[in-house]
Amino acid sequence: MSILTVNLKHLYQRRGLWLVYVIMVIFALAGIAVLFKGPEEPGRFIGLIVLAFVVGLLFAVLPLEVLSKPFSYCLPGHRKMVRRFVFCVGIFFNIFGSLLFFVYPSLNAGQLILAVCSAFFAGLISYLIGAALVFAARNSVAFIGFLPVIIFAGQFFDLHTVLERVIVENPLVVISVGVLTGCVVWVWLGDEGRARRYCNVPWAGFDAWNPAKMKKISRIRMAGKWDKLKKYTSPRMERFFLGRMNRYNYVSAGRYIWGALYAASVVPVLQLKSILSIVIIVILMSFFLGYMGLAATFMFFFMPMIIVMNMRLPVHSSMLISGGRRERFAGTITAVAIEAVPISVVAVAMVALSMLFKAIVPEFTLREVTFTYRAIGARNLFVPLLITPFAFAVRLIFYRKPIYVMSLLMLVIYLMAFPEIVWHKQFSAMINLISIIALLVLGWGTFLLVLHHVCMRRSLAGNG
Amino acid sequence: MNSEKPIVQMRKVCKRFGNIKALDDIDLQIYPGRIIGLLGANGAGKSTLLRNIIGLYLEDEGACVTFGCEAKKLGPKELGRIGYVHQEGELLDWMTVQQLIRYVSAYYQNWNRELEEKYIEDFEISTKVRVGSLSPGQRQRVAILLAIGFEPELLILDEPAAALDPLARAQFLDLLLQIIQTENRTIIISSHILSDVEKVIDHAVIMKEGHILLDSSFDELRERFSRVRISALGKELPAELPFENVVHCKRSDGQAILTVQDCPREKLQEQAKSLDCWVEIEALPLEEIYKIVVS
Repeated sequence: MSILTVNLKHLYQRRGLWLVYVIMVIFALAGIAVLFKGPEEPGRFIGLIVLAFVVGLLFAVLPLEVLSKPFSYCLPGHRKMVRRFVFCVGIFFNIFGSLLFFVYPSLNAGQLILAVCSAFFAGLISYLIGAALVFAARNSVAFIGFLPVIIFAGQFFDLHTVLERVIVENPLVVISVGVLTGCVVWVWLGDEGRARRYCNVPWAGFDAWNPAKMKKISRIRMAGKWDKLKKYTSPRMERFFLGRMNRYNYVSAGRYIWGALYAASVVPVLQLKSILSIVIIVILMSFFLGYMGLAATFMFFFMPMIIVMNMRLPVHSSMLISGGRRERFAGTITAVAIEAVPISVVAVAMVALSMLFKAIVPEFTLREVTFTYRAIGARNLFVPLLITPFAFAVRLIFYRKPIYVMSLLMLVIYLMAFPEIVWHKQFSAMINLISIIALLVLGWGTFLLVLHHVCMRRSLAGNG
Repeated sequence: MNSEKPIVQMRKVCKRFGNIKALDDIDLQIYPGRIIGLLGANGAGKSTLLRNIIGLYLEDEGACVTFGCEAKKLGPKELGRIGYVHQEGELLDWMTVQQLIRYVSAYYQNWNRELEEKYIEDFEISTKVRVGSLSPGQRQRVAILLAIGFEPELLILDEPAAALDPLARAQFLDLLLQIIQTENRTIIISSHILSDVEKVIDHAVIMKEGHILLDSSFDELRERFSRVRISALGKELPAELPFENVVHCKRSDGQAILTVQDCPREKLQEQAKSLDCWVEIEALPLEEIYKIVVS
């Protein structure tokens, strides 16, 4: 069995990829269906070429994962395996994608063949850009997050039509650029120094759902960050918290509550740069979301979810201090309450800023579309406060299975967004004040029950 | 029978992770004043057993009692008597070592500052560095310091020496011997480095696939397992050697090395006299004992 075959086997051996295949097949089928069922609009053939970018972005991670394993450095032929793998997947995918151009209307046989070849190379360029990003950028998967923006912008400015016209009307140019790009990337990926650079480098890849591995990677990455961070907890701050702890008896819960408060609240203060980034993001988001209308409220669903997913909960800490299960319960409530504060502050700030922007930003028209700024409704403020306890409860239950946490939270977000998608009505606008209060009590009550159950009846570290 | 009251009692403890039985019907009693070596391969259930003792894990069946209290109900009063070094060494990375020591010490009434300073000096711990940027070895030293700074009655060490260099390991073993000098201190140490553990333990518990295969004092073990070296001094060795309970025999060119189980040393010496050969009887190293027990 050749080295390439062994590596290609990862395509079905990695279970993490199966979900990716399902999603990609749905997108591919949607892209194909548009050709046969939808209106004959220009630009409709571009779907799979855009998808090729995502394929490159996802599948180039596989050889990189192999490179990062220390043993692969000494395996014969593995240093050159990367480019062979990348090109093998890319060529296969784009042959499939380009065949769709055979149904392109009003072209003769010769033109059709040229169009198919041109589409193949256009797809290959798109794919190779995605693959190259994996090797050039540290967190390449984050680019997928920008994809909806790129697609939206592309459609808005008719880039898909332009691209389709270039492929069909200038095949020789596209083929030449494609060949040139292929050659450049082939040489670039053949760099043997790459194997040395990636050898034993912590790389999450498709193991991002493995908490133990992620913890290890995060610790290694953070070590470098901590070295750079020159700011330390001020002695005054430390004295304040330790002083508060010392006011209580050694067996009193008060000591553990203040301890948890100290552990949970100092990190954000240390990372002042991050706070400044958050402030800038909040201002920008408040500005742009106002123009997006109903979609703006999605931010209120996502924000608490992201914060909760990344938070350290004292309940599962394996650093033994003298606190028992009861003390862990009290400490975790404190940490969660502390975390709910910045979430609420950001939500309030976004609503307030959007009201301010409404008064000052103008309405404008671009390509015959009028953009009117709409303030984010104050009623939305309860959404993060409702999502936060729910997200914490789900995380507590499935703390060893982050993929379950993410899937469940996404499901809830889609359920809450359903009225917006179907009836164009905001979830928050559909319920009255009493329901809001009831939901908040229910949400936080459920969280407390789950936390109590976990603290008193579940194993608190490792696999338990 | 031991007349003292055990500080840890495990009765018929079972713990499962899905289909895997990490602990299966564990009966164990730990008495004060001992250094207990908990030995076993990866996945034998050592860490699970230790985490059950301190109540981080809850047993599915059976009961685990530590300091007279059910492990799941251990509170500050009991946990304030237990020091624990976790093999993953989770610490608060954003604090400096000094801040972390001050933070952790705030939870313990009997934190010993003099001892803290002594260990900082002995272990060459840099206190001004942020915990997150420490090397694994330095991190482990800090974790050990935090676990012993309050002079716990029960010190639980889960693979404590894995990240330490040979010099630090030797210092660490000396430290364990110093700690045990104080009356009624108990140390449970799980480790793969049997040659290190052998130097300090006085009791061994060997585990395999969630079962305790052996729970015995180290002196008893050394008495039970012997190695007999026989040299025929230029002559032929007899075809039949007069020793009983031989578990392993290696013969070559007038020489033989036997591993003997459950045969008192005096009896072996008696049996050796009947041979007209040079015979040396010695206790078996822990590593060899371990191999015999687990196989």
